[in-house]
Amino acid sequence: MNSLTSKRNQFILASLLLPVILLIIFVVVPAFNLLGMSVTDWDGFSADMNFIGFLNYYDMIFKSPDLWLSLRNNGIYFFVHLLFIPIELMIAVMLNSKFKGSHFFKSMTFLPYIINGVAISYAFSYFFSPINGAFNEIFTVLGLEGAIQNWLSDAGLVNYVLSSVSLWRFSGYHIIIFIAALQSIPQDIMEASTVDGANAWQKFKAIQIPSIQLVIDFILFDNVRGALQAFDIPFVMTSGGPGYASSTFTLYTINTAFKFNNFGLASTMAVAIMFLIIAVHLIQNLILKSFSRKG
Amino acid sequence: MTPNITLSYKTKRIIGNILKYLISIGIVCLVLGPILVILFASFKTKGDMVTSSPLLLPALSKITFDNYERVLGNKMLVSAFKNSFFIVLISVFFNVLLGSVTAYCLERFDFKFKKIIFALFIMGMMIPTFVTEIARFKIIQSLGLYNTLGAPIIIYIASDLMQIYIYRQFVAKIPASLDESALVDGCSYFRLFAQIIFPLLAPATATLIIIKSVTIINDMYIPYLYMPNNKLKTLTTFLMDFAGAQQGSWQRLSAAIVIVLIPTVLIYIFFQKYILEGISAGAVKE
Repeated sequence: MNSLTSKRNQFILASLLLPVILLIIFVVVPAFNLLGMSVTDWDGFSADMNFIGFLNYYDMIFKSPDLWLSLRNNGIYFFVHLLFIPIELMIAVMLNSKFKGSHFFKSMTFLPYIINGVAISYAFSYFFSPINGAFNEIFTVLGLEGAIQNWLSDAGLVNYVLSSVSLWRFSGYHIIIFIAALQSIPQDIMEASTVDGANAWQKFKAIQIPSIQLVIDFILFDNVRGALQAFDIPFVMTSGGPGYASSTFTLYTINTAFKFNNFGLASTMAVAIMFLIIAVHLIQNLILKSFSRKG
Repeated sequence: MTPNITLSYKTKRIIGNILKYLISIGIVCLVLGPILVILFASFKTKGDMVTSSPLLLPALSKITFDNYERVLGNKMLVSAFKNSFFIVLISVFFNVLLGSVTAYCLERFDFKFKKIIFALFIMGMMIPTFVTEIARFKIIQSLGLYNTLGAPIIIYIASDLMQIYIYRQFVAKIPASLDESALVDGCSYFRLFAQIIFPLLAPATATLIIIKSVTIINDMYIPYLYMPNNKLKTLTTFLMDFAGAQQGSWQRLSAAIVIVLIPTVLIYIFFQKYILEGISAGAVKE
């Protein structure tokens, strides 16, 4: 028996050694380095790295108005996606009620999530382009020339346009996860409620929503994480412009490091975003709990 | 019970069905609309881009394949295909190999430091992706991996950890008695894993290969950051370079977009069953 245990330990060691070493070097160490670098003035290449205490934190909070503007833009992504979650859930319920073609419609819903995000960001740049853009053309065809705008260069509009591109790309992901959760509800409960005369809305409220509570929590957390990390759509479509009008927290952080070579300050922002994700999620949970208690 | 009620129930169902199809068709239009606009543009000449509606194909006689010829004639496209393929092949191979043994050990055995190792993997999944590169950059550089295909490969292998999560759920479904009887028969742990456990994980492996391939082909940030070298473009960073060079020539860029979209769309059409299963497995069973 003892030899079996030692053989077992050999196997565990052989199996886990490489993955754990890789994880430590490329994930754990960088995460702690971010904390360490956040109290220095490192520029990313020189050997010079001075300890400057919490100066970066002070600068981030009091001397970076564009970072705050960027964070507000993340807020727009967050609320646009949040408003859409109930709609996504209803679409999921609809697609889950098997009807002819529902399988095809499911695949279509998920297609935007699977296709190349950079390619589709360029496609949307053309779609919203002020010259021969398809979106403005739709208004022209409908005789609504008055609605034509410079969608990507109007500081007041650009974030909503980018958020809707983000919706286009990521809604399908939420819907598919909701569908999978709905499918895991035991069929007999749904059938019993049908026999008892419950209509679709009653089933939705009394059975489907409570049964998938965990998944709803997951989606809400995913939304916080996704909205605070919004990056590639503005990066490709507007580079955060005009000015900083469509910058996001992550885009600003990345530019601080790799464009302006201020790795110390950028690390501070990276630390901040980790805390923000946790904080927003906790606040959201508190609000939701107080709501469900009242309901 | 009266015929009146049955009728209204029937009408309700019909109205419900009509609504379902209207909404579903609306979704299809929203999804395909922007893609079709690009497809149409890719067949237009420069002049047609101005004169024809962006919402329509050009007249059949005016359709041109010139844009595609230009993109396909670009030498960098071939190396971009090769690089993307190579990165996917190596990264996914190690993701599957290391992910499956790690998940098996963490799910099946109790051992020293298990809790710490487990916590590290959980932490790895929680850390925000883009901003971590600020600290990872120095490590990649000091290992001499900057501007090599090794940089994205090692990052995908080390830090993209969803495979452990998915494999664990599949391992949990395999009865432990199977392991025990094989061991009693004198089977070594390595053979047990390679010949009994790993084959039973095949559905998870299929899902992971597909999802990982798509994610890696589509990734923009890591190749952009670590491989500025012209010879090291992936499909996605090739498109970014191409877009930069084609300022305003949307018909040509559209052809490039279509070409870059094709591989993942093909993968999706042929393997969507695995993709949908894997995505849901990752989220549903907490």
